[in-house]
Parts: sequence; structure tokens; C-alpha cells
Amino acid sequence: MDYLITLAILIAIYVILGASYNLVIGYGGLSTVAHPIFFAIGAYTTGLLSVNVPELPAVVNVLLGMVTAVVASVLLAGSALRVSGDYLLIASLGFQLGLLQLIKNLDFTGGPGGLSAIPSTILGAARGPAFLAITGAAAVACVFIIRAIVNGPYGRAISAMRDEELAFTALGRNAMSMKIAIFAIGCGMAGGAGGIYAYYFQYISPDQFEVLASATILTMVVLGGMGTPFGPVVGAILLLAIPQAITFLQLPPAIMAPTQGIIFTVLVLVFLYLRPAGILGNKARAI
Amino acid sequence: MTEILRVEGLQKRFGGIVVSDNIHLTIGAGEILGLIGPNGAGKTSLFNLISGVLRPDAGSIFLNGQKIDGAPLYKRARMGIARTWQNMLLFRTMTVLDNMLVGPRDYAGESVTRLAFGRAGVRAAEAAMRARAMGILGRMGLESTASSMVVDLPFGQQKLIGLARTLMNDGPLLLLDEPMAGVEGAAYETMQRVVRQEAASGRAVCVVEHNVSFIRDLCSRAVFMANGKILQDGTVEDLIASATLTELYFGV
Repeated sequence: MDYLITLAILIAIYVILGASYNLVIGYGGLSTVAHPIFFAIGAYTTGLLSVNVPELPAVVNVLLGMVTAVVASVLLAGSALRVSGDYLLIASLGFQLGLLQLIKNLDFTGGPGGLSAIPSTILGAARGPAFLAITGAAAVACVFIIRAIVNGPYGRAISAMRDEELAFTALGRNAMSMKIAIFAIGCGMAGGAGGIYAYYFQYISPDQFEVLASATILTMVVLGGMGTPFGPVVGAILLLAIPQAITFLQLPPAIMAPTQGIIFTVLVLVFLYLRPAGILGNKARAI
Repeated sequence: MTEILRVEGLQKRFGGIVVSDNIHLTIGAGEILGLIGPNGAGKTSLFNLISGVLRPDAGSIFLNGQKIDGAPLYKRARMGIARTWQNMLLFRTMTVLDNMLVGPRDYAGESVTRLAFGRAGVRAAEAAMRARAMGILGRMGLESTASSMVVDLPFGQQKLIGLARTLMNDGPLLLLDEPMAGVEGAAYETMQRVVRQEAASGRAVCVVEHNVSFIRDLCSRAVFMANGKILQDGTVEDLIASATLTELYFGV
């Protein structure tokens, strides 16, 4: 049971990461690979505050984690986008790799060994279900906030900007500030997910936030349907639940690992072949 | 006639190529000025300098007497410089109506904070903008296309949608870059009628166009450009009658 609750919490956290990455990359058209580091910024800010400033309530710590992620994202996007749109990809890669190295090499972050002894916050038998309720509610809130953003007039402006930035700007819209806003909202959500993650697992280490994690999140987004509000939800559930479901087959470990890999890869290939715009994506519109 | 746009000593070069060479120009309210000249004369570059896509090396631009040199593209649009594009630059993944709704200079609905705290206001603003957009489409006989995707429309109608979207910006200056290229038949008539109406409502209009008969029908005054210079500024008849210009333009 505990195991299933942990899996469900992990799915909810990846729903937040996938949905926010989808906002930035799928709707905003902003190429970034730094999503794991904003997840890390939230996790480390929250974790460090909870360890070093025990009198602060957990909610405040998570919110401060979000705020730190937002500030960092505005600094990154504000400087990178000023050069050119394509520059963001390179700058985000540098930011991701550089900051993670910094986390690995600083003393107060716990270095490569990670930060442990994050207080449990919620004690007793209700801990798992309580965290599941909080994380689930946060995930639902993120998905619906993003849906409200992209379906309204603001969403119309976002797709206009993605279609023809020059015409969009010449109609009196500030594309730069819109891009920074989208980036900040997405990265802030990732930071919030990091805060909850730190509190639930009580231990964070740099290897949980490597650049490759953005490939995992991107796969969830693409598989579920990039540029659709609920695509990342489907993607996160499938990509996290399927490998776990296979473990119930009780195969010997020597066969299990490769079987998981093969089934996973085949599923991704089948879905991408049959539904190039994702499971919830418009069938006619390839990415 | 009230002066809307004044350009003084505008200078722009790309390496060895001079696209604007000491350009002086004024356009008044209600006037339709034709801008003609061979390809590469610097007509679109002049539009880009006026609207703020390009920064001049020297010279100044005044809108309603106010110097706008430092303002970026999006701010100049908000000040009231509306322009169309040779290749339209429509929002391809969107419907005609949605294209139009991105057009107003300052639209209160497009704000995340308002989305969260002022939904009633957004709905009211949205309804008003829709009514205005349908009004403009109605003037062009395009109401029925409102919910079509722009890419599904024939070229002539896309050209009209490009103008319609620009007209959502109700500012004092209208820059039209080759509105007639590839347009014929009913769309041609509509384009001419709408441009006339806009000028009659007091806007200053400047048209870059290779279709000389369109210029002759519409403009009382025209400017001939070549190699980044204004060679002549006068009536359309004078320009067409000038032997030197005809030779430059048509190569005969």
C-alpha cells in the first residue's frame, strides 16, 4: 500500500513537471532543457530552509522554493531571450549543468551525497495519504490553471506569438515579456513540485535532477500530447505506471529489467507511430 | 491638412547597400500616399524603419508631432502605427476571428492577473472586441469566414484578412505593403473601397504597390523611390509621365 501511495505521489509530481514543461515548450514554443534544475531549485530551497530555519512553516518553505525558481527563471530567460530565441536552449543547458555542478560542490547543499534529514512535517499513519492529497490537489490545480491560461485570450496571444512573432509584435504585443511570463509560470510550478518532493522523500541529491530528466519529462509530454492541457497527465501516468505494472508479472530479475526496457520502448514507438501528435493530440496535426 | 507622419533625414545601410538615403517625407490625415519604385528600391525597408522593425542609422520619425525614435516595434503599434505585410504573416494555426482578436492595440483580456482576478471584465472586453472584429469583417463581406482557419481560405481572402486584422488597430497611420499583389476580382474592389473608407475616416495611409492602376485610382500623391532615395514626390500623373522614372521602373 505504501508503495502504491509513493507511486501515486510520484505520478502527481511528474504531472506537475510535465504540465508545466508543456506550457513552456508546447504552448510557449520556448526550447529549454533546464526544467530539472528548476525542480531542484525548489527542492533545495525548501529542503535547506526546513533544515536550517525549523521555525518556518512547511507551506512557506514550499512557496519560497517556488519564488526562488521564478526569480531564477526570470534572470535566465530575461538575459538569454534578449540575445535571440534560439539562445535560450544553449543558455538553459549551461544553467542546468552549471548550477547542478555548484550544488554538487557546495558544502551547505550536502554536496554529491545530497541533503538528508529533511523533517517529516506530517507524522503517523496518515502521512502517505495526506501527502497524496496535497500533491494530487497541487497537480490538479496546475493542470487547470494552465488550461485556463491557454484557453483564454492570453492563450490566443501565446499561439499568435508562436505562429508569427513579428506580426504579433507589430500588433502592439510585447513578445519578450510574454515569453518571460510563460517561462516563469512553468518554472515556478516545477519549483513548487520540488518543494513537495523534498518534504515527502526527506532526502534529495543532485543525481535526481540531472539534465536527462528533461528527456523523461519531454517523453511524457510528447506521448500524452504536446500542446494539449491533459496530455502530460496521460503521459506521466503511462510512463510511471507501466514499468511498475510489469513488476507484478513476477519475472526473475535477470529478465525483468530488459523486459521493462523493451516493453517501454515498444510502447513509445507504437504510440508515436499511430498518434504522432500524442495520445490526446489532434490526429490530423503532426508536431 | 493635419500632419500625421513626418520623416526627417532617415538613413539606413546594410554594409555597402544603402536602403534609405536621406529620406524626407510627410503624410497628412485623410491622405493616401502611393510609394512606388523598382524591387530593391527601399520601400519595404522604409516601412520597417517607420514601424520600428529596423532602427535607422540617422534621422528622426514623428507621429502626430511626437518623436518616436526610441520606441520599439510593439510600442509604436500601440501609439497607432498599423501595418500589413507583403506575405501577410497570418497566424496559421488560428481561425479568422482569433487572428482579428490579436489585432487591437491594447487589449485588456490578455493578462494572467486579469484572468485570475477579473474574469467578468475579460468577458466584457472580449465581447466588445468580437463585435468590432465582426463589424470589420462585415465591411469586407467576410463574416461567414470568421470561424474558418485562415490557411483554408483562398489567397485573395487571406490578403483581405491581413488588412482586416491590421484595421483592429485604430491608430492614425496605416502602412499597406503590396496589398494588391496576387489579388484580383471581387477582393480587388473590396480592398480599394476599404482603403478609401479608412482614409476618409481621417487616417493617413501609405501604400507600397506595383499595380500602377491601383495607385492611380486611389492616390492623389505618390513618391517614387530607387536605390534608397526619393527621386520624385508629386501627383501620380506627373510620376507616370516622367520619362526618367518610367525608364528606371520598367526598363524601357
